Amino acid sequence: MISRTIALAAAAGLLGTAAGAQDAYRIGLSGALTGPVAGSYAPAIEGLQLYINRLNEGGGIDGHPVELIVLDDSGEPSRGATNSRRLLGQEEVVLMINASLSSTYAPMMADARRAGVPLLFAASACPAEVYPPAEPLLFCTTAFAARYDSQATLDFIEAQAGTDISLGLSAMAIPLSRGEIEAAEGLATERGMRPQAPTIVPPPTADYTPFATTISQAGADWVYSWAPWVTEVRTFEALRRLGWEGEYIAWAHLEAEGELARLQDEGFYAIGANSLFAEDLPVHQEIRAAAEAAGATYAPDQMAEGWIAGLVIDAALQSAGWPADAEAVNAAMENLNVDTQGLRGGPIEWTPENHFRATQYYRVYRWNADEGAIDVVQDWAAYTVE
Amino acid sequence: MQLVANIIVLSAIYALISCGYVLIYRVSRVLNLAHGELMMVGAYLLLMTASFTSNPMVAIPVAAILSLTMGALVYLLLMRRMTGESVLAAILTTIALGILLRGLIVIFFSAAHQYPAVPLGIHSSSVQVLPGARISSLSLILVIVTALVYASLFAFLRLSRWGLRMRAAGQNPLLAAQRGINLHGIYAMVWAIAMFTGSVAGMLISLDAGLDQTLIMIGLKAFPAALVGGLDSLLGALIGSLIVAAAEVLLIQYVNPLLADVVPFLILIVMLVVRPWGLFGTREALDRV
Amino acid sequence: MSDLSPMRVVTALVAIAALIALPFLASGATLDIANQILLATIGAIALMLLTGFAGQISLGHAGLLAAGAFTAGILAQEIAAPFWIGIPAAALTGALLGVIFGLPSLRLRGIYLAVSTLALHFLVVYVGGEYETRRGFSTGILIDPPVVFGFEFWDPVAWYPVLLVVAVLVWLLARNLLRSRTGRAWAAIHDTEPVAAALGINVARTKLWAFVISSAITAMAGALFAYYRGFVSIEAFSLFVTIQYVAMIIIGGMGSLLGAVLGAAFVTILPHAIEAASGVLPSSGGLAGSIFAMNYAAFGLIMIAFLVFEPGGLVGILRRIGGKRGTR
Repeated sequence: MISRTIALAAAAGLLGTAAGAQDAYRIGLSGALTGPVAGSYAPAIEGLQLYINRLNEGGGIDGHPVELIVLDDSGEPSRGATNSRRLLGQEEVVLMINASLSSTYAPMMADARRAGVPLLFAASACPAEVYPPAEPLLFCTTAFAARYDSQATLDFIEAQAGTDISLGLSAMAIPLSRGEIEAAEGLATERGMRPQAPTIVPPPTADYTPFATTISQAGADWVYSWAPWVTEVRTFEALRRLGWEGEYIAWAHLEAEGELARLQDEGFYAIGANSLFAEDLPVHQEIRAAAEAAGATYAPDQMAEGWIAGLVIDAALQSAGWPADAEAVNAAMENLNVDTQGLRGGPIEWTPENHFRATQYYRVYRWNADEGAIDVVQDWAAYTVE
Repeated sequence: MQLVANIIVLSAIYALISCGYVLIYRVSRVLNLAHGELMMVGAYLLLMTASFTSNPMVAIPVAAILSLTMGALVYLLLMRRMTGESVLAAILTTIALGILLRGLIVIFFSAAHQYPAVPLGIHSSSVQVLPGARISSLSLILVIVTALVYASLFAFLRLSRWGLRMRAAGQNPLLAAQRGINLHGIYAMVWAIAMFTGSVAGMLISLDAGLDQTLIMIGLKAFPAALVGGLDSLLGALIGSLIVAAAEVLLIQYVNPLLADVVPFLILIVMLVVRPWGLFGTREALDRV
Repeated sequence: MSDLSPMRVVTALVAIAALIALPFLASGATLDIANQILLATIGAIALMLLTGFAGQISLGHAGLLAAGAFTAGILAQEIAAPFWIGIPAAALTGALLGVIFGLPSLRLRGIYLAVSTLALHFLVVYVGGEYETRRGFSTGILIDPPVVFGFEFWDPVAWYPVLLVVAVLVWLLARNLLRSRTGRAWAAIHDTEPVAAALGINVARTKLWAFVISSAITAMAGALFAYYRGFVSIEAFSLFVTIQYVAMIIIGGMGSLLGAVLGAAFVTILPHAIEAASGVLPSSGGLAGSIFAMNYAAFGLIMIAFLVFEPGGLVGILRRIGGKRGTR
């Protein structure tokens, strides 16, 4: 595996000096490859790299390879800012990709606007700016998205249990998660549910039981959590250990598939926009094969987000043609329709007004103890994004 | 009742971690800010041994012995060279060690969230400990282990010959050295014990909650507990942990969970204004720095 | 060595020439790093005054930077205040916080003082986080770049001379302070407080002054950072930032202004240097994860090596080289 990587790197190096500099599409990514949150972003970044490598091995786009420059920001905004200046000022990329904590968004967005280079969010929550009416230059392929997620989740809870329920809410003490859960509190009240005051957990927490105790003692029938995976799952586990027997729904981050199998709890629902690798669609097999061939660090079932970003970048560059500058890539991205090959419930469609997607599809999963496998509790539900 | 159980579990976690800070500071006057990382390394050692054997009775002791060795090596290879340097330089060295360890862990184990409990076949179940109070079985073990660790540390420091030497080295290194006590040996031993207790905490936490780099931050959260009690007193670390944990649990329940992060430090400020050397710390500790 | 030995004059002239020539030679990304060094220099000088000269350990440096940045950010956001209000306001906030950060120093020393300043760091971050969430700036506050006579300061090239001038001014201010009564009083309390008190120095006032001056400069650096980067968010001021500044003054060399400058440059450049040294940029071909983990580990390793083998810091190395030249 190592020799193969070196061979590839050498090949890339040769290409880079001989023809690559002029003949390659240059795109750049800043992401959390180290630091405490790396586990949630590094797999997606690896997925994107695998896609791009495979694309280049197949001859690139109309004979032009795609050069993906990857920089690490450890999830720190200052380093994200340094990276974006470098990608724009030195590497002269035609497209920037963010795969890091939401705190790195602001500096990268500011720089992208200045330089007129499109910026794609590919691993963390989509910012409000990509919803219609979308801001120019900002695009998002990530599955999870403020407001729509809570809407879909509450629809599911209502379909399962009606509105006469006490709803516990759990968030992590980061602005994005808090904002969404506080919005969900309002939405639930409008429906006539009885939401509790959100329980907000600080990121480094030794024991989740005290937080679970407040939720459990307030008599929650259902609990909804939209937060990084640690907070979602550990709040749930702490609740179960208190003897709480209600039902719990959380956003299906990239860890979800492995974790549903680990927890094996029928009261734990995961709502998400990605299909699971257990389905074993052709695209899943492709990702698995690519990961295996490259000796990837992370599990293939955590790479869907990166692969989807790869599909979209591929399509955008193809439609931008050659030679492509940032303006052409942006124009291509503003009118794009990408088949997600079953990784999502439907295509990713972008228009000048909508840089999120025209329709967002949600599925709900949970563990089925009898069959020893993950069940689809609710198949693709479509939400038009307006 | 549940609140009481929550307070006891949380203070046991803090106490088991913070005794590492106290031991090293008490004996060698070094503030070890890599304690969180060393604790994480201990947990990853368990992950490593768990990949060789699925028997927890083998995997855990082997990992614990490895962590004991590593603690001594950290002193012998690195911290020994920092004797005689300024306090700040020694602290910075431990921080740099922490950065190095974080990088190494990602290289060897990746940044993914992993569960050492899975290969070992350990399942945490729910235990009724008091009427109306349940905790997880691993939390119960953690409380017991903490009690054992503290009991044996007290016994060791008071009664054994090595413990006596350790206390002597902490109180007056010059005099201790003149009396023929091998200071480097003592310091290596205390680093080994500190890493051992930290690793045990790391292992137990990661068996319950899984393992990734966020474990470091939990290590740092126990730091105020050590300070409230006074950095050079084991009893203080125990009481400090109890105070910090009680404040945290009660605030989460009755006031605002968001304060949980700030409150240990608020308690600390109040403590520093009233008794700058901590609850049980010694006054002279202040002028050593 | 006299103050104006020809060797020193030549070195200084070469340095000045290089600093002036830089924007004409370097690319935008290199200048961005240069600007970061200048920003770090301002902050490191402030910390050096407090820790290296007045002997007060502080772990609240990131909190003070955050306070300055947030002052600028909140003023820009709430009353659309331009930079010439934002920066002095930040310095004022810093000075006020300096009094608060400094109060514990009247009773505490060493590690306990360090920890009390750390507590204040968490308070500042908490307040900043509350503001961000309450106002709905969940991904940080954006600040428009400063505009002077219709010219917008956004480009690293435009910022470079500004930051260079500010850094030089701060350096001159620090140097003059150290030569004044205040500076001598700091040196006195650094050595031994009781003796200083016996010499008729008001220890409490001297300490508070050190905190106020250092904090005002730090907060100003924070505000400059906010304008330069065009954003403010609590995550940009983690504890790691404090650690970096402490590393700067120790690696540079305690008790030396030049040390603060060298340390700032070293700590800022190091990650980039490691990245460059670790060979091919991780572009398409290999998988990037472990390369960056290696860079991260190397950063720790080099810092350890420095602390163990060069306790005098970069200034110590310079002095040795200078000393050898002198004897030759």
